[in-house]
Amino acid sequence: MYRYIVQRLIMIIPILILVSIAIFLLLSLSPNDPAVLILGANASDLELDMFRAQHGLDKPLHVQYLNYMLGLLHGDMGESYSTMQDVSYMIKIRIGNTMILCAGACVLITILGVLLGVSMALRQNSIYDNIARVCVLIFSAMPQFWLGMMLILLLAVQWGILPPQGFSTIRHMILPWICTAMGGITVVSRTTRSSMLEVVHQDYIRTARAKGLKEGYIVRKHALKNSLLPIITVLGRYVGASFGGAVVIENVFQINGIGNMMVTGLRQKDIPLVMGCVMISALLIAIVNLLTDIAYAYVDPRIKSQYEGKKKKKKSKAKEVSEA
Amino acid sequence: MSDKVLDVKNLTVRFETDRGTVYAVNGVDISLEAGETLGLVGETGAGKTTTALALLRLLDKSTARVESEAMLYCGEEMSEMSEDQMRKIRGRDMTMIFQDPMTALNPVIRIIDQISEIFRAHHNMSRHDAEEEALKTLEMVRIPRERAYEYPHQFSGGMKQRVIIAMALACSPKLLISDEPTTALDVTIQAQVLKLIKELQTNLNTSMIMITHDFGIVAETCDKVAVMYAGEIIESGSLESIFNNASHPYTVGLFHAVPSLTSNKEFLYQIDGLMPDPMIVHEGCSFADRCKYAKEACFNKRPENTCLNGKEHLVKCHIYSKDIPYVDVRKEVENA
Amino acid sequence: MNRREKKALIARSNKLEIWYRLRHNTSAIVGFVLFAIILLACFTAPLYLDYETDIIQIDAANKLQGPSKEHIFGTDEVGRDVLNRILWGGKTSITMGLLALGLAFLVGTILGTIAAYFGGVVDMIIMRLIDVVMAVPILILMITLAGVVPPTNVNLVLIIGVALVPQELRLVRAQVLQLIDKEYIEAVKIQGGSGFRIIVMHILPNAIGPIITTAMIDIASAITTISTLSFMGLGVQPPDPEWGSMLANGKLVIRDAWNISTFPGIALLLTVIALTLIGDGLRDALDPRMRR
Repeated sequence: MYRYIVQRLIMIIPILILVSIAIFLLLSLSPNDPAVLILGANASDLELDMFRAQHGLDKPLHVQYLNYMLGLLHGDMGESYSTMQDVSYMIKIRIGNTMILCAGACVLITILGVLLGVSMALRQNSIYDNIARVCVLIFSAMPQFWLGMMLILLLAVQWGILPPQGFSTIRHMILPWICTAMGGITVVSRTTRSSMLEVVHQDYIRTARAKGLKEGYIVRKHALKNSLLPIITVLGRYVGASFGGAVVIENVFQINGIGNMMVTGLRQKDIPLVMGCVMISALLIAIVNLLTDIAYAYVDPRIKSQYEGKKKKKKSKAKEVSEA
Repeated sequence: MSDKVLDVKNLTVRFETDRGTVYAVNGVDISLEAGETLGLVGETGAGKTTTALALLRLLDKSTARVESEAMLYCGEEMSEMSEDQMRKIRGRDMTMIFQDPMTALNPVIRIIDQISEIFRAHHNMSRHDAEEEALKTLEMVRIPRERAYEYPHQFSGGMKQRVIIAMALACSPKLLISDEPTTALDVTIQAQVLKLIKELQTNLNTSMIMITHDFGIVAETCDKVAVMYAGEIIESGSLESIFNNASHPYTVGLFHAVPSLTSNKEFLYQIDGLMPDPMIVHEGCSFADRCKYAKEACFNKRPENTCLNGKEHLVKCHIYSKDIPYVDVRKEVENA
Repeated sequence: MNRREKKALIARSNKLEIWYRLRHNTSAIVGFVLFAIILLACFTAPLYLDYETDIIQIDAANKLQGPSKEHIFGTDEVGRDVLNRILWGGKTSITMGLLALGLAFLVGTILGTIAAYFGGVVDMIIMRLIDVVMAVPILILMITLAGVVPPTNVNLVLIIGVALVPQELRLVRAQVLQLIDKEYIEAVKIQGGSGFRIIVMHILPNAIGPIITTAMIDIASAITTISTLSFMGLGVQPPDPEWGSMLANGKLVIRDAWNISTFPGIALLLTVIALTLIGDGLRDALDPRMRR
């Protein structure tokens, strides 16, 4: 198992390198010139050249890239074109907000999503189940930025219960958390429900009933653990996606996080800044994926023995299907 | 009457589905004394498993409608028991061995835990004591201690079936229902498993219902036989009387559809046609469509139980209730 | 009855069965009707609305009006009719969503089938490339792409199409992989069926059900994505109307006018709900075992 984890950690590195190459090329080859964007159209040729020389933009692409990567090895993420500050410093002061936003959303997704799904499955086709399904359908169809706007309109503008923007106190965080989490909650609850219902009809649940076990015990011990695999898959996906969603939510609620910074950087084609943000998000996704795989092994002994068995693992079929 | 472990009268099971009502079990009588084994024989879809699940009240309540005149377990009416009372009987007094060992075990729970939870549920044992008991039970079915801490996927099919037998016999039940316990297994393991079940059943003086479509298994394990067709028991009696004196055209046909070393027939006897659609209610005999000796009366009138050679051997056929002219079915089939 | 007739009969009864289940699925019917109404409303808009005068012409005197008889959904921050702009914007959003998904679907199906069928090195290369694309959260990927290319509608479709390829590809690949081991594929191979024939005649038809089902839901997510990007100012550019960009304007005046922030969102919501219901209904009809 540990060997598997180490292998997976090592495999993250080439992927991050490829991502960095792809994003770097994308940013550098796109038509706009950062020097013009930042200094303005009125800047003289001399000023533009000086800007380019200062940031190494006059060198060939592969040299630029290698310089950036060498810096990265020393923990230097380069200097922002627009603010002249260290990118690592700029990220450091903003990542806290983004992390609080994402972590809170993930907690909400996990707890509310699974609880809602299980409670729906246990009361299949009841009034509760049907109402909950309609609500889940409506909320899953709501784009998160619009949900944010509607919440601001109602709770902040009309009723004045919660502040419409900012991220300084818990009261400020409630609405952004709800918005970031909502999509995940609906998908996780739907997955939990259908996965539970599928498991409940399996032979081994009948065996458990034939053994005379209590119904609550059967749900907790026999059904839930078996339905966890697809739940973990979507959970992992939405924990990763919440990081992307944070970009939009930070925009809606004017939160000073790295998502907002990245969009500003993109407009000015601030390559080191955007690179830094994208790389951070890629690293985060890689870690979440690894945690997901470890969780699989923890839940399903068959997957665990697969990890331990072959040196070069092939994902199990069941997992491929559930992932898709 | 109290020595009867099970006494069921006129059990019916219907399933309400989107497309209509499925009549799965239509008036089945079963009675079983302590230590006795009843063989429930029939084709796939005859309603054997449904009957068994109805006895344990394990059918899905949202679709299944179970009714009966009487459903006495050790003299107590089961249909009047609360869900909790029934739960206490299941797994302790009345247990079941399921057909497919590959799917009947929970894949993500260790074998030992799947057995010890029975003791914890029924005898309020501590985790440690329950595990000890579970290990003993596993030894009973000859699974070594050290393998008890593994997961089902690490076990072979035969071992899984032995684990399921261990589960069913863990609390020394009074009634054991074995639902085709060997169908999913290799031939070489079938005999072992059967021997094990029989041995343990005799030791614990458990009554058993053996569901199967294999007369060989019936001959080896059963005292009484009931032949099911389209949700009805069409013939029942002691092992000897059924084997020597099969009377219903369907039963006779079944016997002759089995290859035998002593017969020198070139082809096996075959019963033409298929089991009737369980969504259609028959006015007459449910076997009439496939019966070579059917007369008009067979299609219009439902046959009642008729006693043959003493009161133990019952058959549902108009030939014996004298509604249609007598035919010596056995002779006819042998000459076919 | 010869073999071909028999086959046709089986195929027809199978289709009839699916059609029967679809007709008896309330949510699917609601979805179809809702989506048909939305399509009809949006795509007939150009017949009676004029782009220059009804959609983009500024009428500062009537700005920020609430719903009234002349303007059912009110007017926006420069006095344009919100309903007209919603209808016009819907045409853009839905067309672009369909195109983007069509692109993702086509590329995903082809590459996914190739990866699954050939396996080995081909599969590994394709999957590693997908890993790279999926290494970044999809929204961040799309925002980055949209930020660096000129914001034209064609580019937007390409960006969303490309970003959706990985999930389509993985789905197709998983479906095909699941089928490829099945015995009937073996049987075709034993009879000497060629690789291409096996894919087109046997594997894809059997894999198509789940793929179409998710496609319906993915169209919805493509439309949502277009609106999200437009909301961030990276999608459809003013003065063209689009639900997301209308909402972005609405947000600026959210304290003064609720209608601009509400109605385009409801249009978006209804479209996504309709597509989701259709997808769910199709899934139930194609695979009744999944029905819960």
